[in-house]
Amino acid sequence: MQQGIWIGGRSDLGSFLSQPADETFVGFVVMSNFPGAAWLDEYRDRVNGDPELNVIGEWFNTTFTLTFGDHRYALKIDQGKIAEIIAAPRLDVRSSFGFTAPVEVWEKFLGPDPPPLYHDFFAMLMRVPEFRLEGDGLVAMQNARALHRLMNIMRETGMPDA
Amino acid sequence: MPNSPMPKDAMPDFEPITGRYIGLDISGERHRIFVEEAGQGPPLLLLHTAGNDSRQFRHLMNDAAITERFRVVAFDMPYHGRSTPPDRWWLKKFRLTTESYLGIIRAVWLALGLEKPTVLGCSMGGAIVLKLAARYQGEIAGIIGLESSAYAPGRYNDFLHHPAIHGGELCASYTYGLNSPYSPEVNRRENWWYYAQSGPGVYQGDVYFYSIDWDAREDIKEIDTKRCKVALLTGEYDYSCTPAMSEAVAGAIPGAHFALMKGMGHFPMIENYPGFRPYLLGALDHVAAAV
Repeated sequence: MQQGIWIGGRSDLGSFLSQPADETFVGFVVMSNFPGAAWLDEYRDRVNGDPELNVIGEWFNTTFTLTFGDHRYALKIDQGKIAEIIAAPRLDVRSSFGFTAPVEVWEKFLGPDPPPLYHDFFAMLMRVPEFRLEGDGLVAMQNARALHRLMNIMRETGMPDA
Repeated sequence: MPNSPMPKDAMPDFEPITGRYIGLDISGERHRIFVEEAGQGPPLLLLHTAGNDSRQFRHLMNDAAITERFRVVAFDMPYHGRSTPPDRWWLKKFRLTTESYLGIIRAVWLALGLEKPTVLGCSMGGAIVLKLAARYQGEIAGIIGLESSAYAPGRYNDFLHHPAIHGGELCASYTYGLNSPYSPEVNRRENWWYYAQSGPGVYQGDVYFYSIDWDAREDIKEIDTKRCKVALLTGEYDYSCTPAMSEAVAGAIPGAHFALMKGMGHFPMIENYPGFRPYLLGALDHVAAAV
């Protein structure tokens, strides 16, 4: 099981990383874009070490996406654990649903003192139009309990370093 | 360690709340309703939130500062908590409406002989107290509306009662974020548990009232605060009934008292009772001072 944050799938698709064309593509790179590789690493570790998800996550098996502004990630969930985070997933990375919002919205959600309406993903779904659930809402709501815990762990992980 | 008998001088750790069941005819149906009480004095009737039950008020009902002044009464709505659904419940879809809700409250109120009660309700209870105040303003001392809105669309959806979704877990998770992030986790989780215990479709049936049937924007203009005092309290983090929604209600009722509860969410009486208590005591002073 891969535990790294895999940026892209194959070297021939490395151009989307906006790297200079003459640079050799490497699979694991340090991202400067929000929320950043270090934050995603920490988030994955918190999710995978979470005692509550050990209790409630057994049947949470799907892939869903998180989109921060222009940057999209697919999270492969296996029994409530993050098996893999795929940056800029290609068309062959299937996902059932996803959350998308501008970076400014995510920053409010992840901040230490979230403003009202930005303190919970259900609150944002109802009151923040820029925060959207895309894809199959049925799968999302079938997993509401574990998914909610996963999203709340984002808040516990906190604001990414600048 | 083996089980040991209780020391002879030890008293069981009972709370001062007592619960009973009452038989009631409501709209031609026989109901068995759970009612709990604490304290003595003029009546204070409590109305729980959608898909929940009177356990939400356990802190308030254990507060001597309240029970020394009031006979505090809370009940589980039909289909909720320990109240039994009426016969042939399996042949109808549970849908609370403004009129059926008023009928239930009125039946309990009369059966218990509550004279000029102060009525406190939260969320859908905070909504219906506005209609009680409009319709029965000569017969009640006043209302305390927690998270009160005159019109609150947007909470209803089909997934709240759907065969492919665990309704208890969805309803509990769907309402969990209505708590303030600053309220103690143990209390938020307790409320989650009560939501998860709701019968299939009951929360959705309540939300049908709250978000589809309910519109009291004209009714509230009839409330005369000289006859029926009005206090409204809303939590800063409530996104179902935002502070602005309650302020709009207060603005339409001359003489209504409104307070924003900083750092509070949609369930003040259970999510953070110590934080709620000063606001509650202030509201009781405003509403029930003359009682």
